[in-house]
Amino acid sequence: MRRLMAGLVCLLLLTGCGGERGAEWSAFAPGEAERLVIYTSHPQSLYEPIVREFEERTGVWVQVRTGGTAELLDQLEAEKEQPVCDLLFGGGTDSLTARRELFEPYISPQAERLDPALYCEDGSWSAFSVTPVVLIYNPVLVRMNRPTGWKSLLDPVWRGRIAFASPFVSGGSYTALATMKQVLPEEDVLEAFYRNLDGRVLSEIGAVVDEVADAVADGSCTVGVTLEAAALEAAEAGKDVALLYPEEGTGAVVDGMAIVAGCAHEENARRFVDFALGADVQRRLLERCWRGPVRGELIREETDIVVLDYDLDCAAAERDAILRQWRELETAW
Amino acid sequence: MRQSFRNRIFVTVLVAILLPLLLCGALMMRLLIVRSEESLAREAEEQLTALSEAVQDLREDCGAVVGELMDSTVLRSALRRGGGDSRTLYQVLSRAVRPLEGSVRLDVYDREGVRRYTTSELSGGALDVDWGILRAAGEAEDIIFRTAEDGGLAAAQAVRNYSGTVLGYVVAVAELEHFEELFSGLYTAASEVLLLDRRWRPVYYSRPAQAGQTAEALRQQLLEEGALRSGEGAYRFFARRCAGFVLVLQQPRAFTPLVMGAIYLTGALMGSLCLVLALFSAWTLSRYLAKPVHQLDEAMGEVERGRLDVRLETDRSDELGRLASRFNHMTEEYRTNLDRSVQRERELNEARLRMMQAQLNPHFLYNTLDAVKWLGMAHQAPEVAELATDLAAILRSSISGDEIVTLEEELELVERYVNIQTIRFGDRFTCEVDVAERYQSCLVPKLALQPLVENAILHGVADREDGYVKVWAGEEEGMLLLYVSDNGCGIPREVLERLNGEPQPLPGGHLGLFNVDSILRLRYGESCGLSAWSAPGEGSCVRLKMPLKRKEKAYAEGPDR
Repeated sequence: MRRLMAGLVCLLLLTGCGGERGAEWSAFAPGEAERLVIYTSHPQSLYEPIVREFEERTGVWVQVRTGGTAELLDQLEAEKEQPVCDLLFGGGTDSLTARRELFEPYISPQAERLDPALYCEDGSWSAFSVTPVVLIYNPVLVRMNRPTGWKSLLDPVWRGRIAFASPFVSGGSYTALATMKQVLPEEDVLEAFYRNLDGRVLSEIGAVVDEVADAVADGSCTVGVTLEAAALEAAEAGKDVALLYPEEGTGAVVDGMAIVAGCAHEENARRFVDFALGADVQRRLLERCWRGPVRGELIREETDIVVLDYDLDCAAAERDAILRQWRELETAW
Repeated sequence: MRQSFRNRIFVTVLVAILLPLLLCGALMMRLLIVRSEESLAREAEEQLTALSEAVQDLREDCGAVVGELMDSTVLRSALRRGGGDSRTLYQVLSRAVRPLEGSVRLDVYDREGVRRYTTSELSGGALDVDWGILRAAGEAEDIIFRTAEDGGLAAAQAVRNYSGTVLGYVVAVAELEHFEELFSGLYTAASEVLLLDRRWRPVYYSRPAQAGQTAEALRQQLLEEGALRSGEGAYRFFARRCAGFVLVLQQPRAFTPLVMGAIYLTGALMGSLCLVLALFSAWTLSRYLAKPVHQLDEAMGEVERGRLDVRLETDRSDELGRLASRFNHMTEEYRTNLDRSVQRERELNEARLRMMQAQLNPHFLYNTLDAVKWLGMAHQAPEVAELATDLAAILRSSISGDEIVTLEEELELVERYVNIQTIRFGDRFTCEVDVAERYQSCLVPKLALQPLVENAILHGVADREDGYVKVWAGEEEGMLLLYVSDNGCGIPREVLERLNGEPQPLPGGHLGLFNVDSILRLRYGESCGLSAWSAPGEGSCVRLKMPLKRKEKAYAEGPDR
């Protein structure tokens, strides 16, 4: 009886297992040597053409994961023992400097062609693009008395109507705070500014850059602080956004990329860094992505923008202080 | 589960009904699903073959068109000159694409990447020569195939002069709309087709709006899991390489989780219906078989406990019915036999009783004693006359047919016996009878007390000068207790043990005591009888125990009798 039962059960299992016979998928998937995993905080419109072209040229399969810079850095920290990601593409170089222990130093052969000011001497990251922080306003809603610079953000006229992403999420917002602290003479610039925000801080992780422009364009805010690229892109898309370079001068976010320490596909990550610093990509940045390239020969001779001498090392040290104060303000609010 | 006959039948029947049914059902269901999926898979493979042939043809056509233009001097000179005779060139271009019936667009770019000639309506436009398809074409010697910038499949080749310098580029683009036409009818309407390049970037999707999203999701799966999840969900995927591209067919499952759910639900419902039916029939059958057996078992138990009037009611005529009626017959026989043997035992006891009494019943002794009495009186010997009178009274009472007498009559008998013994032993003992008036009318077996007094005198006080025998009565829980005590030498230990233990005749001595004990026990039951206490040298006490019954008439006549 028992043997009969066992036989029947076997029969049942056999017929149950006979069903699934799909394609031989392993023939389609690439080998380990042909893979690269990238974490990026860039928008898809920026990274996708670059990644595609890289794939075409090298035959490497690139897997992309997107997120905010801070989120991705935390993710890298969490995966430190067994890194999934090979390359962090994007993220302010000050953030990268602060977490430099996560990265594998690499000095690209292209480095000598770069602007010397954007050079990381220990090679833990490579600069990719330079994007100034700018102010935007809605030209339909703001016809008179338009903002002129950082000082305008402290003006009670704009109280509660400033679109500003949380500096914990957006590198641009942090850079704006650092710049304000540097250029404005007031004692407690951050506190005054925070009060003027009236508790409105956009804190969605993800497309925060677009969010600021959208908030200004749809009229829920009237002025905003964002990156030049985002502002130009929004304006190009026909949104009601006007761009303004602060009269006091402005800081710039330098986006970098860094190879993750102990990653599985380091060779491909290096190829990607070389490619991204290459003339083809950098020219494309300038011509199609409204971003500042980092190659010396491509840098614009801007006369109407006062780009601050923005000390990266100093900023990285000061970062903690500024963010701590911001956290305190948030808690106190 | 309790290991009973009925449970075994129940389980066996249940398993025998249910197991084949459920197995059969599950097997059939499984088989149906497997067969259907196999045939769908075969269908998908056939469709993929047809689709990949179509892609192959398209590629060859594009290659042929571009290859044809490569040999065209008109094109080369037009590119070299920059501008020039565009009408002749357009004739060349339109002749080249004519075999493809407008399904392929031809673009000609100059060395700067500016589109100079095109067979589409739109003119103008430019591509980077250091980026994308133009760069790839510029680097390759031969024709290249890849995704077009605005979707679809593109074949591109650089036009070079004889020294190898690039003059411009020819790009043939099969646009998305064309794929719809190309693939239509090659796959079932419910399926979707996805054409990917070798790194799984989308070229064409039969639902163009979701091309990017779907391709990205599939690519993610392939990279992370090494396979497409066709195991679950509403679709199965089939893929095939063709001509440097990958075709993926997304086929809807015939058995989606929803359908499977419905099938399993139906199966479960049918299964539970079967279960209920099987339970019912197993229960009924086991009951039908086990009930008579159970009844028989119970009846046997009753018989064991002594209830012989048990009867099994049955109207069955099968083996179990016959078994029941045989049981009834057997218990009936057994009961009759038992009654008969009890009756025989009683008769035997009565015969033994009569025999014992016959020992004390010699008629002629009485007549002789009467003569002795008269002789004693005639010869002036009053003791002789008295002796004879007492002895005659004892004998008379022995002869009389009554087996039960009142205590008063029995005590009178004792008194006459004591008189005889007094004459015999002189003043060496005294006998005191101290029985309350209310016990005088109690009924006792004839000659129950006399043997006890005799025993007390002969074995107790005969050898002493100051013997003392006392007779008294008492009552306890409806039982009459008669005591005879003496201050003689006591009863020997073995006799005492026999008296208080098993009642059986003892050879030699004290026969009277055992006789009385036997009579009481036989007549009144085992709770009645004789018991004795004695200590050597301190005398003894014998007790008779019997039910307290009074002679009604004698009691009614009053105490003066």
